[in-house]
Amino acid sequence: MTSRLRVTPRGFSGPGVRFGVPFSALVVALLLGAIILAVAGNDPIEAYRTMFDASLNGWSSMTRTLALATPLILTGLAAAVAFQMRVYNIGGEGQLYLGAIAASYVGLALPETTPMVFMLGAMLVAGATAGALWALLAAIPKAFVNADEIITTLMLNFVALSLMNWLIFGSRSFWRDPRRPVPSGKRLPENAIMPELSGRMHIGIIIAVVAAVLLWWLLQKTSWGFQIRTIGDSPRAARYAGMSVRGKTMAVLALSGALAAIAGVSEVSGVTKGLEPVALTSNIGFTGIIIAVVARSNPLGVVPVSIFLAAITTSGSRLQSIGINVQVVLLLQGLIFLTVTAGEFFVMNKVSLTGSAIAGPADDSSSPATDVAEATA
Amino acid sequence: MAGESTHLEVRNLTKSFYGVPAIDAVNFELRGGEIHGLLGENGAGKSTLCSVLSGLYRPDSGTVSLNGQDVAFRSPQEASSHGIGMVYQHFRLVNSFTVAQNIVLGLSKDQRPRSMRQVERMVGDLAEEFGLHVDPSASIWQLSVGEQQRVEILKQLFRGAKILILDEPTAVLAAQETDRLFDAVSTMVDKGHGVVLVSHKMAETMEYTDRITVLRRGKNGGSVETRDTTPAEVARMMFGDSSAAERTTFDTSHEVGEPVLSLSGVSVLGDHGLPAVNDVSFEVRRGQVVGVAGVAGNGQRELQEAIAGLRPLVEGTITVADTDCSNAGPKATMQAGLAYVPEDRLGVGLAPGLPLEHNMVLKSYDRAPHSRRGVLADAAIEKTMDMLVEDFDVRGNRRGMRVSLMSGGNLQKAILARELNEIHQVLLAAAPTRGLDMAAAEAVRAHIVDERATRRGVLVFSEDLDEIVHMSDVIIVMFKGRIVGSFERDELDLDQVGLLMTGSGLDADDASDQVSAAS
Repeated sequence: MTSRLRVTPRGFSGPGVRFGVPFSALVVALLLGAIILAVAGNDPIEAYRTMFDASLNGWSSMTRTLALATPLILTGLAAAVAFQMRVYNIGGEGQLYLGAIAASYVGLALPETTPMVFMLGAMLVAGATAGALWALLAAIPKAFVNADEIITTLMLNFVALSLMNWLIFGSRSFWRDPRRPVPSGKRLPENAIMPELSGRMHIGIIIAVVAAVLLWWLLQKTSWGFQIRTIGDSPRAARYAGMSVRGKTMAVLALSGALAAIAGVSEVSGVTKGLEPVALTSNIGFTGIIIAVVARSNPLGVVPVSIFLAAITTSGSRLQSIGINVQVVLLLQGLIFLTVTAGEFFVMNKVSLTGSAIAGPADDSSSPATDVAEATA
Repeated sequence: MAGESTHLEVRNLTKSFYGVPAIDAVNFELRGGEIHGLLGENGAGKSTLCSVLSGLYRPDSGTVSLNGQDVAFRSPQEASSHGIGMVYQHFRLVNSFTVAQNIVLGLSKDQRPRSMRQVERMVGDLAEEFGLHVDPSASIWQLSVGEQQRVEILKQLFRGAKILILDEPTAVLAAQETDRLFDAVSTMVDKGHGVVLVSHKMAETMEYTDRITVLRRGKNGGSVETRDTTPAEVARMMFGDSSAAERTTFDTSHEVGEPVLSLSGVSVLGDHGLPAVNDVSFEVRRGQVVGVAGVAGNGQRELQEAIAGLRPLVEGTITVADTDCSNAGPKATMQAGLAYVPEDRLGVGLAPGLPLEHNMVLKSYDRAPHSRRGVLADAAIEKTMDMLVEDFDVRGNRRGMRVSLMSGGNLQKAILARELNEIHQVLLAAAPTRGLDMAAAEAVRAHIVDERATRRGVLVFSEDLDEIVHMSDVIIVMFKGRIVGSFERDELDLDQVGLLMTGSGLDADDASDQVSAAS
């Protein structure tokens, strides 16, 4: 008698499953990681304590992690809002650069005496607008001739990168500091710099968390979000119900671009304090895509996932300082992330062991829905 | 291998899906050297029977015998090794491979020649022998639909098929290609092969087959020699006799009012840009149920979508309750008073991955009481859902569960509940009871017919002729995108409807006209 695994999608998952599974996944990752650490000749307990101390234990570690999480939350939201409608914006990276370029322009162009509230407000508006317009370059072809947005947004990243590099390295542009021999951006005036809250953490984190809550509300509690969720689930049902799929495609991509661009504003104003291409190109936009996937496109999920990812990253450098090989550190980071991501499968599906394997006939006449209804009955 | 396996006999074959028999104690016989037509409505069991014969399904009970020996196929490969091959309506070809590569695809090393060149030569010979001309070295994507079909047939012949099952082979072909196909088929038959021709079309069945077997609702509807029968008799076997018209239990004594849905000269294109609906005009009046009968694929879906504003009109006008809705889009049509129960429940009528409360307000989410100034009122939405679930007896929902986990009958009741709850003047319902059990189907029909009492109009499309006759005051027949007949209930001639549905009630000129228009 053979038995086999049977996978059935869950209709919905209770909080026990939703929170229990990721937590168990983390435990599994740490156990697997302990084996790897031990094999590599390190003390797993010490390594884990170091990781925890470096990223989450104590205020100064926590602020370091949150500072790193700030742009990740924003690019994660950017990807998540597009994913909600099953539009794939891979252009967060480029939209972030555009946000940084536009915001630093405004910060440098406005009089230094402009009050900080207006200065930062203008930078945010300019950055978000630039990101939205950049995203529309891909959104309009998508909406009107169904050009694949994965390709167009991805390609526009390279254009944006070249533009930013040219502004600093390739020309004597407005952004470049003429006084310094090494090409670099002009430093933003004091009023154009996001004030620090504690350590490296600046008010960008507040903007990011507020954006997450607002986005959640927009998607879950407004009729606009109702349409986005409907289109994301079934564009044909949405069209049937009289919704404009074309208009929403453009709106959502523009919003996504604006959010990614705000990450750029936050970085240029709160971290690099000038248009610094090298410091700004740390894959924040791409990481946002991973975050959105793990958070299942839920804006409120994006915040903890971003913090978690930031924590793994900050603890990585400390692990190296206590003599753990960099490869082992990367392996450990990857393992934790992989296990937690894989755990999602168990949140979405129920896996059970069935006693007898009755190989069902090839049955393509029955709809999957019936199948599932049968299986869960 | 194939041998002389050319006499196929099926006795008492039954195959059920989830307890519902798709074919029930069916008998069928195919002799070598004959073309045997297999006819029936959609859902009559033709595909299930063919899938059992070709080894795709295993029957629950009954026997299949080849030349007097019982056989039981566990896979299409086994059926193939006994000389039975099936050509599906939707081809199973790899577009980037050549004809020869496709033909040997899936054969083991000892079943095929070593070099592709040799395969090409053999395929070329086979093509020559049967008049199935196609270049063996061409890639599939370079070929026309007719040529691709020839490749499918050659694939089966190459495997030594003596019995060939063709599933609606002419559905995709233009008139000339149809002739070429039947030339090849008659060559096969002359060489002693047996051919099963699955079809909806009366004319070609009468013209090309030697015998006809009709399936009706999973059971044998009758078997006849083609030369001894008439289209009228075959239609009667397919669609039942006139007695069905008398079983109506709905109150039909009522007066009709002014038109609430008018179509005038409507023409629309299908998905591939070919004409799908041609110059269609009719009207639905208040207090009237108009039923559209027709075999699937004759433009019904396109016409429904055009009425709902989902498909642009090439010509003509559509008026819903005095509002001109021609090319006005789905929203405006909805607001003019059209309620629409689409054929495709999950994916069009409902967003499958979202919960029931979301789906119950799919069309009214942006209005009070469900939302105010763009903000959703969750409590009001839940209240609407609870009310509709109660009134229409929708079962199997759990809060927050996505609707795709509910059963077909409950999904259909949910859609009806939502649509009838909207302010509307006319209800358009497509295949409203397809796949439902008796009780659910009856409940759905009762809701639809109730619309008559509230002085609204109903336009119902169904492949089930009995159902159409059962519910409708006026019956319209669609064939190849045209209205080919229209009957008041009391003047209904079911035989005539059956003939029209299969296209044989038309005079020859008219019919060929439409063939060229549709191709």
